[in-house]
Amino acid sequence: MNSNNSVRRFMKHENMSIFLVLLFIIIAVYLVELFVVRDGNISKVAFVKPMNISNVLMQISTTGILAIGMTLIMVSGGIDLSIGQMMCFLGTGMAFLLRNKGFSEPAMVLTGVCMAVLFQLFMGFIISRTKLEPFIVSLGFMTIYTGLTYLITNGSEITISDRFTFIGQTYINLTPSFRLGLPVVLLFLLTVIMWLVLKYTKFGRRVYAVGGNENAAYLAGINVKNFKLLLYGLNGLFVAIATMVLLSRTGVGSPLMGSGKEIDVIAAVVVGGTALSGGKGNLWGTFIGVLLLGCISNALNILGVSPYWQYIMRGGLIIVAVLLSYLSGLRTSSVTVADRKEQPAEIKGSSVHAS
Amino acid sequence: MPEELILEMKGISKSFPGVRVFEDFDFDLRKGEIHCICGENGAGKSTLIKMLSGAYTPDKGEIYFDGSKVALTPHSAMQIGIQTIYQEHTLFPLMNVVENVFAGKEVTRGVVINQSWMVAKAREVLKYLHSNISPYDIVGNLGSGGQKTVEIAKGLIQESKVIILDEPTASFSQTEIEHLLSIIRKLAERGLSVIYISHHIEEVFKIADRVTVIRDGRKINTYVLKGLTEQMLIRDMVGRDVSLFYHREQVPIGEVIFEARDLSGNGVKTASLSVRSGEILGIAGMVGSGRTELAELLFGVKKAASGEFLIKGKKISMRNPLSAILHRMCYITEDRQSTGLFLKHSLDRNIPIASYSRSQSAIVMPADDVRMAQKYVDSLRITTPSVFQQAMLISGGNQQKVVLAKWFATQADIFIFDEPTRGIDVGAKEEIYRLMEGLLKQGKAIIMISSDMPELISMSDRIMVMRGGSLVAEVQKDEISEENILTYSIGGSV
Repeated sequence: MNSNNSVRRFMKHENMSIFLVLLFIIIAVYLVELFVVRDGNISKVAFVKPMNISNVLMQISTTGILAIGMTLIMVSGGIDLSIGQMMCFLGTGMAFLLRNKGFSEPAMVLTGVCMAVLFQLFMGFIISRTKLEPFIVSLGFMTIYTGLTYLITNGSEITISDRFTFIGQTYINLTPSFRLGLPVVLLFLLTVIMWLVLKYTKFGRRVYAVGGNENAAYLAGINVKNFKLLLYGLNGLFVAIATMVLLSRTGVGSPLMGSGKEIDVIAAVVVGGTALSGGKGNLWGTFIGVLLLGCISNALNILGVSPYWQYIMRGGLIIVAVLLSYLSGLRTSSVTVADRKEQPAEIKGSSVHAS
Repeated sequence: MPEELILEMKGISKSFPGVRVFEDFDFDLRKGEIHCICGENGAGKSTLIKMLSGAYTPDKGEIYFDGSKVALTPHSAMQIGIQTIYQEHTLFPLMNVVENVFAGKEVTRGVVINQSWMVAKAREVLKYLHSNISPYDIVGNLGSGGQKTVEIAKGLIQESKVIILDEPTASFSQTEIEHLLSIIRKLAERGLSVIYISHHIEEVFKIADRVTVIRDGRKINTYVLKGLTEQMLIRDMVGRDVSLFYHREQVPIGEVIFEARDLSGNGVKTASLSVRSGEILGIAGMVGSGRTELAELLFGVKKAASGEFLIKGKKISMRNPLSAILHRMCYITEDRQSTGLFLKHSLDRNIPIASYSRSQSAIVMPADDVRMAQKYVDSLRITTPSVFQQAMLISGGNQQKVVLAKWFATQADIFIFDEPTRGIDVGAKEEIYRLMEGLLKQGKAIIMISSDMPELISMSDRIMVMRGGSLVAEVQKDEISEENILTYSIGGSV
C-alpha cells in the first residue's frame, strides 16, 4: 500500500513525462543504431559507450549552465535572448584581455564576471523599471553585444593557446574510458545548489511568486522591481561561468562561440517544463531538457544524419515538446473555465441572493 | 411630450445559475425621451443594459423595437440602431476620430475609402455637438469627456435611434459633465431616445424626462420627473430583504490602532480615517467613488501624494506593501484571482508567501509550509483534496479563504477587506463573516469596503461614505440605515 503510494507519487512528479521521453529516446537511438547501422553487432554500438557518454556530458555543460540562469529568469516571467551574443562578447573580450592586454588569468576572470553582471544589471534595470517587454529589450542587447564583439575582434578569432585551461580541460578519470570533465562537475554542482536555493529559501519561493502573479507578489511584500533586477544580475553570473568554460575548453575566443546558444537554451528550458508565462518550472526538468537535446544531436551524428536534417529534427522536437505541455495545460485550464462559469462576472459585483 | 414608443420590454426574466437577477420586468422608452435608470450597486442595471445591447438573451419575455418584436444579438442591436456606450471606453485609442466613428461602416467609392466625405461628415456632427474636437485627433489623446463625445458622434453618424449611456460621467470634471448633459439634450431634440444610467442624483434631476427605479431586478416605479423628489427615489432604491442581513456578535471596542490623516493621491481627493481594535469600519460608496483607490493608498500599493499614517499613535512611513506588512497590516483585494492568488501554485505555496516578508530567516522548509497550510485549511475549513491542490482548481469561496489564510498567517492586526464576499455563495459568505468576527475577538481592527448594502449594515460598527474621491460622511452605529448611506453616496441632502 505504502510503496504503491510512493510509486504513484513518483509517476505523478512534474518531471516524469520529460524523463520518460528521455528514456524512450535513449532506447530508441540504441535500437536504431544496433539494428540499422551496426547490423545487430552489440559490441560496435557507439551511443552507450562510456567515452561517448562523457563526450555528450561535456558538450552539454555550457548549455546546461546557461539554462540554469535562464530557468530562473523564465520562472519569474521574463526571458533573455541576449545570452548567446553576450557569450561571444565576453569570450572574445576575455581572450583579448588575456592575450593583448597582459591581464593575468584571475584578473581576466574577475573582469569578465563583473562585466557580465553589470551588463545584465543594466538590462534588468531597464526591464524592471519600465513596462517594456523583456523579449524586445534583450533582443536589442543581443544586437549590441554582436557589435561589441566585432569591435573587439574585427571578425577574427583570438586564440589564447595554452593559457586558462584549468576550468575546461581538467578531467577526473573515473575509469580508463570514462572521464568526467570539470565543466560537467560544475554543471552538476550549480544545478544542485540552485535547486536547493529554489526549494529551501525565501528567495527561491519568490522567484515562483513573481512569475506566478506579479501583482499578488507585490502585495505580499516582495519588491518586484528589485527582485527582477537581482535575477538578471544573477543570470549574468551564469553567462560568465558558461563563457569561461567554453573559452577554456576550446582555447579560442571566437566571435561565433555563443551564436544561437539562446535558442538551444530556451528550447531546453521549455522542453524541461518551464512555462513561458512564468511561475512554473524546475531545475531538474531543465537538466533533463538539456540532456535530451544533447542526446539527440549526439545520436543524429552517430546515426550519420546530415547536419541539415539535424536542424529540422531538433526544431520539430522542440515544437512537439511545447505542444505536449500546451495540451497538458489545456486540461487543467478547462477545469478552471468550467469552475468560473458557475458565477457570471456581473453577479460577482452584486450581492448574491438566496433563492 | 411624444408618446410613441421606440423600445419596450415585456415580462423579462433572466437568471444565472443559482441566482435570479430579473423577474417579470417591464420597461418602455419613448421617442425623443431621456429615461434615467436608478438603483443601488447590484440592483441589476448592468444586466439590463446587456440585455438591451444583445450581450445577454432574456430567459423569458419579449422586446419590441419600433413596434415589432425583436431578438437582440450584439450585431442586430447595432443594426437596428441601439448603441450602447459602456462605462469603459470601447474606442480604438490609437486611431483618429474619423476612423473611430466610421469603424466597420466605412463609406467607400468603389473599393476606395471616401475619406473626404467621411471627414466632412464627422466635422459636421462634431460641430453640431458644439465640440472643438478635430476629425484628425487621435482618440487616445482626448480626455474622458472627449472620448464620450466621440462615442456619441459615432452613434449619430451610424444613425442610432436609441443610445444607452452607462455611468458616463465617472471621472468627469464638472464642466465636462455640463457639456455632456447639453449634448444629450440635443440628441433628444433630434428625436433620439436616451437611456441614462447614473449614480449621481443631481444629474438625474437635471436631465431626465422619466426615471425608473430598479431593485433586485424588479421595476419598483417609473416616475415623470415633475413632482419627483430625492426622498421618493431613495425610498424606492432601499428596502432590501431583511433575510439577507447577518446577525453579528458585538465585541468590546478598544483603542485606535490605525489612523490615516488627510490622504490624497491616486484619484483620492481627501480622506481621513481611523479604526479601533475590535471594530469594523465600513467604507460605503458607489462603484467608481474611489474606495479601492483609497485602500491602495492605505496599504502603500500606490504612494500617497500627501497625508500621514499613524499606528497606535506613532507616525510611520508607508513606502510600499512591504512596509504595510511590517506594520502588521494586510489587504484582501476585491479581485482574488488577479491580485490575491497564485492560481498555478498549490495551496502550500499560496498560504505562506506573505509571511516570508515578516520572517527574518532566508531559509524556508517545505515541511513547515505544508504544516502551516494544513493548519489553515483545517481552521478555515477550506474544502480541498489536499494542500497540494492548485489554487485555480478550488471554488470561489474556498479561494477567498485561501487569500484570508495567506494574511492570517502574517499575524496582522489591521485588516483591509475590499469586497470580502464578492461572487461567493451564501454559505461561504457567512463563514467569512464568522472569520471576521473571530478577528475582532482577538482585538484586530477591520476596514471593510463593500458594495453589498446588507453586508455593510450588518457588519460595520461605523460607516464612512466615499463620494467623488473624498470621504464625505461618517455614520455612527445607531444612525446606520440604508437610506442614510445611500443618500450620502449619491449626493443627496439628508
